[in-house]
Amino acid sequence: MSPLPAHSPWRILDPAAPAPLRDHQLGINRRQFFGRAATGIGAGALASLLSKEGLLGAEPEPGGLTGFPNRPPKAKRVIYLFQNGGPTHVDLFDYKPRLHEVHGKPVPEGYLGGKRFSTMTGDPSGKLMLQPVEPFQQHGRSGAWVSAFMPHTAKIVDELCFVKSLHTDAINHAPAISFLLSGAQIPGRPTMGAWLNYGLGVSSEDLPGFVVMTSVSKGTSCGQIFYDFYWGSGFLPTRFQGAKFRGSRDPVLYLNNPDGLSSDLRRGLLDDLSELNAIKFRAIGDPEIETRIAQYEMAYRMQTSVPELTDFSDEPDHILAMYGPQVREPGTFAYNCLMARRLAERGVNFIQCMHAGWDQHNSLTTELYTQCRDTDQPSAALVMDLKMRGLLDDTLVIWGGEFGRTPFIQGDLGNRERWGRDHHPYAFTIWMAGGGVKPGITYGASDDLGFNAVENPVHVHDLQATILHLLGIDHERLTYRFQGRYFRLTDVHGHVVRPILA
Amino acid sequence: MQFPCHRWFPLRWLAAAFLLIPSGGRSASPGPVVFSRDVLPILSDACFQCHGPDAKEGRKGDLRLDDETDAKRDRDGIRVIHAGHPDASELLQRLLSHDPDEQMPPPDLGRPLSSEQIDTLKRWIAEGAKWGKHWAFERIERPFVPEVSAGIHPVDALVQRGLDEAGLKPNPPADPATLVRRLSLDLTGLPPSVVLGDHSALIRDRENPKTDHRSPITDPQWSSIVDQLLASPHYGERMSWDWLDAARYADSNGYQGDNERTMWPWRDWVVQAYNENLPFDQFTILQLAGDLLPSPTQEQILATGFNRNHMINGEGGRIAEENRVDYVMDMTETMGTVWLGLTLNCCRCHDHKFDPLTQADYYRFTAFFNQTPVSGAGGNAQTPPVLEIAPPEAITARDTARKARNAAKALLDKAPEPEKAALEKSFKETEAKLKSLEDTIPKVMVMADQKEPRKTFLLDRGLYNAPGEEVAAAVPAILLPAPETRNRLDLARWLVSRDHPLTARVTVNRLWQMLFGVGLVKTAEDFGLQAEYPRQRELLDWLAAEYVESGWDTKALLKTIVTSETYRRSSAITSPSDFENDPENRLLARGARFRMPSWMIRDQALAVSGLLEGSVGGPSVFPYQPEGIWDEATFGKKTYRMSEGGDLHRRSLYTFWRRIVGPTEFFDTAKRQVCEVKPLRTNTPMHALTTLNSPTYVEAARFLADKVLRAHSDESARFQTLSHHLLARPANAEETAIWKRSLGRARDSFSRDSAAADRLLAVGSSPIRLGLDTVEHAAWTALCLNLLNLDETLTKE
Repeated sequence: MSPLPAHSPWRILDPAAPAPLRDHQLGINRRQFFGRAATGIGAGALASLLSKEGLLGAEPEPGGLTGFPNRPPKAKRVIYLFQNGGPTHVDLFDYKPRLHEVHGKPVPEGYLGGKRFSTMTGDPSGKLMLQPVEPFQQHGRSGAWVSAFMPHTAKIVDELCFVKSLHTDAINHAPAISFLLSGAQIPGRPTMGAWLNYGLGVSSEDLPGFVVMTSVSKGTSCGQIFYDFYWGSGFLPTRFQGAKFRGSRDPVLYLNNPDGLSSDLRRGLLDDLSELNAIKFRAIGDPEIETRIAQYEMAYRMQTSVPELTDFSDEPDHILAMYGPQVREPGTFAYNCLMARRLAERGVNFIQCMHAGWDQHNSLTTELYTQCRDTDQPSAALVMDLKMRGLLDDTLVIWGGEFGRTPFIQGDLGNRERWGRDHHPYAFTIWMAGGGVKPGITYGASDDLGFNAVENPVHVHDLQATILHLLGIDHERLTYRFQGRYFRLTDVHGHVVRPILA
Repeated sequence: MQFPCHRWFPLRWLAAAFLLIPSGGRSASPGPVVFSRDVLPILSDACFQCHGPDAKEGRKGDLRLDDETDAKRDRDGIRVIHAGHPDASELLQRLLSHDPDEQMPPPDLGRPLSSEQIDTLKRWIAEGAKWGKHWAFERIERPFVPEVSAGIHPVDALVQRGLDEAGLKPNPPADPATLVRRLSLDLTGLPPSVVLGDHSALIRDRENPKTDHRSPITDPQWSSIVDQLLASPHYGERMSWDWLDAARYADSNGYQGDNERTMWPWRDWVVQAYNENLPFDQFTILQLAGDLLPSPTQEQILATGFNRNHMINGEGGRIAEENRVDYVMDMTETMGTVWLGLTLNCCRCHDHKFDPLTQADYYRFTAFFNQTPVSGAGGNAQTPPVLEIAPPEAITARDTARKARNAAKALLDKAPEPEKAALEKSFKETEAKLKSLEDTIPKVMVMADQKEPRKTFLLDRGLYNAPGEEVAAAVPAILLPAPETRNRLDLARWLVSRDHPLTARVTVNRLWQMLFGVGLVKTAEDFGLQAEYPRQRELLDWLAAEYVESGWDTKALLKTIVTSETYRRSSAITSPSDFENDPENRLLARGARFRMPSWMIRDQALAVSGLLEGSVGGPSVFPYQPEGIWDEATFGKKTYRMSEGGDLHRRSLYTFWRRIVGPTEFFDTAKRQVCEVKPLRTNTPMHALTTLNSPTYVEAARFLADKVLRAHSDESARFQTLSHHLLARPANAEETAIWKRSLGRARDSFSRDSAAADRLLAVGSSPIRLGLDTVEHAAWTALCLNLLNLDETLTKE
């Protein structure tokens, strides 16, 4: 990285210093920068310039809201391995031996109770039950049940906390994903990562605080679209929205200098640009100009930090091997998992890796294998890689989708090739690891057929409250006023699931 | 503050100044407490969640603080509010209590009242607890502005009252050059060198270095520049962007599949309506209910496309009726935001927590929009009713082709097996012909009411399949009773009636927001009880009254605002203490200064470089976009096919808007999924990377450099031309010294590596014009690219 210009407000920042110290240095430097202002703005105005949001659209200070975190955090960052499409809990983790007994029989009385299913199922009465496709076994000291679909996850169950009693309000993909990530089925609310950066501030100097990557298994017939409201900032300022890294070529659009413009020349030109902006600032004193200078410096730093981030040549072979054969291929889940670890190391607070294709309406015996092959090994590798580096203690990893799948069949029982299951919001399974969650436990349970969460049910809002709690945030306190009312991630609901806290 | 009378000076201001009843002096604190300004916001914010209008959910303690009778009634000797007796009022005792069981608001909410707020309530009760209406629901009365008779601009007179109260001194006027650029960007979204060009003597003079660009613009000159800009066809384009955001206009349906639609003839109608200065009441009636006018013309029906810009859900497994109900709700809520400035969506599931709107009110509104024979069945991009916008020949040709196709199909079906193969071929040909002709006819989804009225029900929790009581179309009387509410036409007429308290205020506020960056009411989307009490309420009301009484004349209203001194002030922060007192410039001592919308930044770059293809209207175009963006977002189902030639350089307004993955070069824009009326302004590094590196800007820099190099041989003259185009002012020596340094760096770099110069000049699809030295052209391109990223270039100031 070329040296920063003498007047750059970033010049004296020590990148190795912890974030609060850097903020302090930044403040001091901004004061010096300001002190030279020809407008002669005094110390009082300075305090105002530095502390207030200023004119509409001016950036809040990078440190987040005062008063947050409002309890000691266990996790400093989150990696959400979002399994888009509704992974089939009864085939992967939620073992229901009785499904073998009732296989091929109609749904027994008493499980449905006027429940709503997608139009593909319509009226569920009379549907035939379907046994798990693959056998289950207990694993590890914790004895967690995992099916043969997930051999790598099976090896790390003692690091995981399974929640088998999750339930949600929505039955279709987009509303359910939106509900899980933003607390509302209709797009337009801030997502978890946006809330987190709004509340806690961005701790990375060289990268955005909320990064999103997406992938889909090759040959998936029914991929779900990734809508940008899955990482939107809703009514929060857009600086909090997830920065979507692309899965191929440049992860950030327009990251490279134009063809023919060398990076030395660009550095020099940016120095000149900062100086011109500083002249303007001295003339008219608008604090927005300072923000502009900072914005361009951040853009420049990303030009350096992002290529370095995506350059895996410093990863030893045994680490690459852990993540599996696809790790070198941009746009795969394995690649994104390794990227997630590298982003976590670089101080990014919320990393959302979304993998589509878990929508097995007719592909339990076909595409589900591909789906698991592409995600099982990298997910397990990520947890162990973080653990080896001591990062798992303050990194919360979450694996899960927006709902589960019906314990009854969608399709024809006689046509095994086309077995499927429909959307099922009433009970599904996720796992969490690290970040202040008890390892090696299973919390909550569905009934004996996997229909309904019956033991310690965990609603989506409870999960959200728990995630914020682990990050040191009281979910009832992190609010934003919009359209005349205070909004929060958990709407007016949510209880922290205390038994799973370490 | 002198405001000389010109010929365009509206005489009715003078008349109004004498005819209207004074609205009463503004109460300077600690004058008497004003219920709507001082008390209602506190009650609404702190109490209404539990003691407000929502009857079914949430009301606690059998107490309504939004209702005077209930709040003041005798409850076995206890009065929550005892007028004139703060000490005997339970309200104050609860506010002051330290007992967590008694204390209000409940301490676990974590939002206690400040001592100032409690004091206000106390004074209000002591002064008699005089009740009133929420300010925005009161009829718009034109405030008395006696200063007008002294030749002072009414906007300035009203702003001055606020400044006097706060002890702030207004800034002097901005430099003429800054002003002309400000005005040109505000009214056309393009820089003055392009819009005014040689027509303005003022601009020409400024190109001449001998003319002092600081010599003030006279009022007649200013008036004439305003007129020129308002008459430009680019005015309509500029105004349309904000309207398209509000109307959630896009070129695809959204959701899975995201099929294309052709609503662009409606978009062109909006541009034309602005350019022709269609009065806003007509603009409203046509868009909400043009189809219901007697013998509606094609244009009147086309305008109703407004309502049909909602997303269409094609996701498998969705229930058609559920979709249809979603669309009706979207139409209703869009109307609520755009005209009423009310958050109707709160009432989908329950009575409004703050505003006196019930869930039934919401569904009565939906009844107006519930009569369209739209099917909610997914997938089809153009669900009827649709209007085909094409010359009659095109329609005839298509109809003929359809007959031919049908005939070929009939033949094929009847033919014996051995002949089928040959007939199959000719049938395919007729089908292909039909499709190609069909594709030339844009279909605009429009409104129509079905003959058989559809019943409308209150929906429990907003669920399509949980109907409650039946409701009929009606409007809330608390806003304004309507003479008739049979259909959308009655609704539209109600919205634009003189006595409507909201439409004019809400609309004028959006125009103010466009010019000043923030509305007189900051929450442009919410004028309800939770909105702030506007510190410049008299100004808002004056403008609203002016707007209605001028016949909803948008150009006239804009002219009124931009001819004020308030608009023309310098945006420099000249006094630290003034800045501290009003960092957000809500009292308007300074001119507005804020980063231009990203679409305007792009248009400006195209314009100054000479690349802008300025034609108005037509199908949407596909400018530069990195490869693979659509493919990645749609699993390869949609591929972006870039436009060629001039279509790469059309105004941003015409960029094709795919809903699930919007254009890549815009930031902080509305998402065009649901109605949005308040822009965001952030400073993400991703935006900087775009303006530094995307081919749009690199190519614009190359053309700007070309233009400057060919205009003069002398370097300092070149600098001045560059400055004229980008900043609309001369550059000073301190600046040009740095520009010179940049050029030097670039010349060094490209002399060492002349192949790099070729590569830089090859960016973009427009051919390089011959005759310039490559290294020199590349060096100037680098300089121009840098200056396209200058804070001042990106900012309207």
